[in-house]
Amino acid sequence: MRHLTRWLAAIVLVTTTVSAQAAGSLAHREILPDGTVLLVAERPAIPIVVVRVSVPAGAVRDPADGLGLANLTAELLTRGTAGRSGPELDRAIEFVGGSLEADAGRDGATISLSVLKKDLPLGLDLLAEVLLHPSFPADELGRKVADIQAALRRSEQSPEAIAGRTLGPLIFPGHPYGRPAAGTIESVGKLTRDQVVAFYRLHYRPDGANIVAVGDVTTAEIRQALRQRLASWTAPTTALPPIPRPAATVAAESRRISRDLSQTTVVLGRPAIRQDDPDYFPLAVATYVLGGGSASRLYTRVREEKGLAYSVFAAVQPGRYGASYVVSLQTRTDSVTEAVRLVREEMARMGREPVSAAELDLAKSYLIGSFPLRLDTSGKLAGFLGAVEDQGLGLDYPDRYKERIARVTIADAQRVAAKYLDPATFSSVMVGK
Amino acid sequence: MLRSRALALWTLVVCLGVVAGAAAQTAPPGPARLAVTDATLDNGLRVLIQEDPRNPVVAVQIFYRVGSRNELPGATGLAHFLEHMMFKGTPTRGRGEISRLIELNGGRDNAFTTKDMTGYYVSIAADRLDLVLGIEADRMRNLLLDPAEIDSERQVVMEERRTRIDDDPEGVVYEAMSSMAYLAHPYRWPIIGWMSDIARINPGELRAFYDKYYQPNNAILVIAGDVKAAQALALVRRYFGPIPRGATPAAVTAMEPAQSDERRVIVRKADAQLPVVNIAWHVPNYKSADAAALELLSTVLSEGRSSRLYRHLVYDKRMVLAAGGEYSYTSLDPTLFWFYATLLPGQTAEAVEQALLAEVEQLKAEPVPAEELERARNQIEASFVWQQDSVFSRASVLGRYEMMGSWHLLDDFLPKLRAVTPADLQRVARLYFAVDRKNVSILLPAPAAPAAR
Repeated sequence: MRHLTRWLAAIVLVTTTVSAQAAGSLAHREILPDGTVLLVAERPAIPIVVVRVSVPAGAVRDPADGLGLANLTAELLTRGTAGRSGPELDRAIEFVGGSLEADAGRDGATISLSVLKKDLPLGLDLLAEVLLHPSFPADELGRKVADIQAALRRSEQSPEAIAGRTLGPLIFPGHPYGRPAAGTIESVGKLTRDQVVAFYRLHYRPDGANIVAVGDVTTAEIRQALRQRLASWTAPTTALPPIPRPAATVAAESRRISRDLSQTTVVLGRPAIRQDDPDYFPLAVATYVLGGGSASRLYTRVREEKGLAYSVFAAVQPGRYGASYVVSLQTRTDSVTEAVRLVREEMARMGREPVSAAELDLAKSYLIGSFPLRLDTSGKLAGFLGAVEDQGLGLDYPDRYKERIARVTIADAQRVAAKYLDPATFSSVMVGK
Repeated sequence: MLRSRALALWTLVVCLGVVAGAAAQTAPPGPARLAVTDATLDNGLRVLIQEDPRNPVVAVQIFYRVGSRNELPGATGLAHFLEHMMFKGTPTRGRGEISRLIELNGGRDNAFTTKDMTGYYVSIAADRLDLVLGIEADRMRNLLLDPAEIDSERQVVMEERRTRIDDDPEGVVYEAMSSMAYLAHPYRWPIIGWMSDIARINPGELRAFYDKYYQPNNAILVIAGDVKAAQALALVRRYFGPIPRGATPAAVTAMEPAQSDERRVIVRKADAQLPVVNIAWHVPNYKSADAAALELLSTVLSEGRSSRLYRHLVYDKRMVLAAGGEYSYTSLDPTLFWFYATLLPGQTAEAVEQALLAEVEQLKAEPVPAEELERARNQIEASFVWQQDSVFSRASVLGRYEMMGSWHLLDDFLPKLRAVTPADLQRVARLYFAVDRKNVSILLPAPAAPAAR
């Protein structure tokens, strides 16, 4: 590969960028009687359907003494229901070549169904079962806890994972975003079935949920099918507690994690801003100029001119409750000092000098023009629609984004860079020798 | 999971371009496949075009019939190094200019190298096809290959190797298996090359490699998206037509001798957290009548939580975090069928190796139940339908099957799968998975250093 696929950054971008398409053509939106938001994008050409349910049950809602609870709860949904065991659910969906997966991220949990059109009724039956009637069998809980612990242990051999875990609390001290979404080996080992059941009852609720359907299905068809299956879904009387916003600025700190590796992984980070902040759009443009593509300053100076890194990039990563800014690279041990000096110099220069007209034009053209590529599969479109709804951006967000990006000036880019890209405000983590 | 693995199956494939003179349009039978227009230019360039008006985008992918299998000892990694250099400019488009032009037009580009081929892809608004074809035609024959740029990019490739292999314990054990299991065939060295070769390769070698393999008669151009085939083909002729045909590259002649022994390697890495056990056997590729059965075996063993290795080793016996059996149907030369397992803490590599071998013996001793075979078939057929959802994956699959000889081979794949019986699975397991001719590679944590005690 010429460049590392930056899937983490890519996922964030999918949830936050632009459409060149008219909002009206993106999806149909309605609110079902139980409070669930339904979004439907009809794509009849290929006989497949994606259905994605999102609930406010992400790791941000883990109790302080139960880190990993949201993740464990989501992972257990498909491991048994009132009517079927985990293996029976697996066999039922996989026999028709489909998949049904549940997982929790930082902000929310999702259940995703992918099936051929002809198998949609079966797929929706199974989806409704795992959403409404999970049984959380004790033996499955034991298995899942051991698997999560083993996966956490395996991630100790990944420098990026180690760096990410270490940087989180430096960017978001005291905020749930600073905690590990899957928990720790110790915290997961202490979770109980009672905690899982209580977490499920409070957070898997129709108010605050959305359901996205994309593919060879009509709105009338999916509305009817969901009404039949989700009639008993009701919200608990207890409201969910609000999630606080993280601090806008924090003191920069640095950490070194010693590992016997030939490269050092360097990640710099600080709090940033969400799409509801008017500075977000100029910051997206400045970020593209700094480290967004293979014509960016970091890529050009650190990689193309000096050959110091294979992967180097900058990204703003907005979530539902807050945002982070991350600059990352990997370089051989003896070039760390030079590479980091170059990166910090380029970050500072963004605020010190105006970007060129050509750089501004490139960033805006790319951010606006590449948008259709982010919606060109049913899965990508479903993920985008769910994220737009989760983050409260509105279905007109794509048009607004395009318009706001187009309006960004050289002065805007310099102003937000001075505010958010000052290297002195970034915490840093290095993993290596 | 299903989708990503289905795509992984399409790695690596063949040459021997079959060719017809004039453009011909065919709409083959089968599930919802869009029509393909194919043509061969006078200079030998194969062109496949698939119209799809659903989204205003186009995928343009060019595949060269050259990968690490075309390299020689002492100069490994040439194909991949050259892939990097393809972004470093031509006389009319300087360093960085190609990617800048693509991004300026809202497109995305990247490239990949496998053992069998090198591919370049651009996804972009459909009305920018002209721009992309101009770029691809230019860099097919006009690469600068500036020595200073080569030296700079050499450092980048070395960093890439450190990230992907040297600092990843599972990358190291993968490399160790390949270099042990193959004695004579170039599949024995890593695609990215040995570090000493990356450090040594000189500009003359890159130039010679480029001149030998980057010729229209050694390439396949695939266009899928919101275009009209006739217009797109006219553009292709305009940009690529003037390029003269090159010499036909010599075929790779290396043949791996039949394995008659057992081979074993143990890799110890300080940072390895969970041991890994791999067992691999030499098997034939798509050219063999047994390939469809091997493909189904891989799916029966690995695909999803109802697959055999998951049910038995992950779920019931609680020995491993993950396990599977991987087979590359489309490999250009005969390949390896890999069984792999990542251990849960507290398990031993010896016990997991025995458990994997017991699964193999069970495949030989008892026919796979009809339900398991039917599930595997349904999974593969569904993945075919899903793959049609994006112009990117459709272009990739067309290109890879064309590499194997003809994109029409796609039409034979599902009928071949449907003809496989439980007895076939049992027969191929007995034929290829001989217990005394296996390759075993094991990753273990390094023992604690005395000072740390």
